[in-house]
Amino acid sequence: MNAIEATGVVKTFAGFLGRRPRMALCGVDLAVPAGMIFGLIGLNGAGKTTFIKALLAVLRPDSGAIGVLGGSPEAPAIRKKIGYLPERLHLPRVMTPLQFLMSVARIKRLDNPAQHAMHQLERVGLASERSTKLGGFSKGMRQRLGMAAALIGAPELLVLDEPTDGIDPLGRAEIRRILLEERSRGATVFLNSHLLSETERVCDRVGIIASGKIVRSGTLDELCGTKDRYKLVVEQSLDTEEMKQLGFASGEQPGEWICQASDGEALMARLDQLRRANVCFIELRPEQKELEEVLSDVVNGAKQ
Amino acid sequence: MTVLVVYMDVIREAIARKWFLALALSTTIALAIVGLALRLDVVDGALAASRLFGQILDSDIKSIDIALRPVFQVGAYAVYYIVMVTGVFGCSGFGPSMLAPGRIEHLLSLPVRRIELLLGTYLGVVTISSVIAMYGTIGLVLILGVKTGYWNWGMISAGWLAAISFAPIYASMLVSSLIVRSAPFCGLVGISLVTAGIVAGYRENLLALWEPGIGRTAFELLMAPLPKISSLAQIAGHSAASAPIDPGEMARLVAGSSVFAAAVLAFGAWLFEKKDF
Repeated sequence: MNAIEATGVVKTFAGFLGRRPRMALCGVDLAVPAGMIFGLIGLNGAGKTTFIKALLAVLRPDSGAIGVLGGSPEAPAIRKKIGYLPERLHLPRVMTPLQFLMSVARIKRLDNPAQHAMHQLERVGLASERSTKLGGFSKGMRQRLGMAAALIGAPELLVLDEPTDGIDPLGRAEIRRILLEERSRGATVFLNSHLLSETERVCDRVGIIASGKIVRSGTLDELCGTKDRYKLVVEQSLDTEEMKQLGFASGEQPGEWICQASDGEALMARLDQLRRANVCFIELRPEQKELEEVLSDVVNGAKQ
Repeated sequence: MTVLVVYMDVIREAIARKWFLALALSTTIALAIVGLALRLDVVDGALAASRLFGQILDSDIKSIDIALRPVFQVGAYAVYYIVMVTGVFGCSGFGPSMLAPGRIEHLLSLPVRRIELLLGTYLGVVTISSVIAMYGTIGLVLILGVKTGYWNWGMISAGWLAAISFAPIYASMLVSSLIVRSAPFCGLVGISLVTAGIVAGYRENLLALWEPGIGRTAFELLMAPLPKISSLAQIAGHSAASAPIDPGEMARLVAGSSVFAAAVLAFGAWLFEKKDF
């Protein structure tokens, strides 16, 4: 079952006072299977936040269809199963974290709102601040509280727009831990993050959006893996020139070499050459590109 | 049910806002000043003369209810218009705050319909303004009652008429925040509508000053749907002064205000449904 299904989603923002209309989503097609962490990445203005808002019916697409958890995102019964953290959560300054979370729990019609609120405050490490006015909260604390609000009621789908924005490194690790816990519970997580390293660390699948379209989508191996390049780590190598003659280019780390081989037979032939030269290799794996490199390639490709 | 949850949240937020604490405090101080400054000398039980800030209001000794009529009438007008003005300024931030980027997206992602959000906010704010209106009115009634020994419960009508009159004003303010999300703009809409509502109450008198033509028709059409703020204020004043009032006219004015509020809210609900955030 897919937690999210979007077909041909188009959204154009009207231009006012002589400004040209801007097409934010140009036919987005995407399916996110339930129970996984999906990361949506793209440059600024690519349409990530617009797509998230369309997913939640916060804005209405001009055309196309969006299904969330097997229903319409407009239906309150479906929205009860969704937890959402907006990119810049605005919190009422006069409220306390406990009051804010209890308000969310009440709107979700949960029994014992205080208990739900306290549980999530403990999870995000804000239990000791439960009675502090939100006006005095730092950006990171506000973000943690937003995360707690999204987690209220054990939602089946978590939609998180830049969840680690403004959070310190230890806090990020906590957020990662929470996301993995949520996945273990069976929840689907839809993550939009500029931090590609975060995306790489937690996401099972990644989609790349450029100019309002999903241009690539797949597992990290599918996106970042290369079919004909291998990374080799050797114990003691020959000098660079000799390695080059054998068809190995130096990698980023000392002792790391890259070779190109169209198939298994070609790879074995290269490794045989090394063995004949008495070079002992201790690690061999298909070369993985950095997600940043993949994003750059895809975005440049989409522009052309 | 969800309307009630939103409504209660608005009340909780209002209680937490320092502005409302300040308003309650300033109302109390104002009532205390009135209580201390007003010198009312009761002579022989049922006869009295009244002095305000040391100045005698009427030279003749009269029956207490007649002597105090101007005091109650002025008090009713004061309560009515103070509620209008403080309501407009005090409540202008609720709509824009609910619609703030980052808050409205979060609210709309929760299992609440847009119309429930609009109605809950509206009812919450109208309740708050009504509570403040009644606090001020009852406080004034108590002060005057203790001072004079004459309990004029008719003055309370000034409080609830002010609350009723504020309802269409706030409906317009809330809906205007859907168009321009700004507390000052909301306040401006509120004050403009209060002013227009005062003019609308004198529509018949003012029409006599216009030459027949497009201008007069436009003025007539523009004023016709507006809540007649000044007419309701007069009823509040008459009621406080124990003067006769026309129940039919009062019912018509209250109904007119309610219909105006309902129409504005219906337009707001349509606008809210169409709006992207």
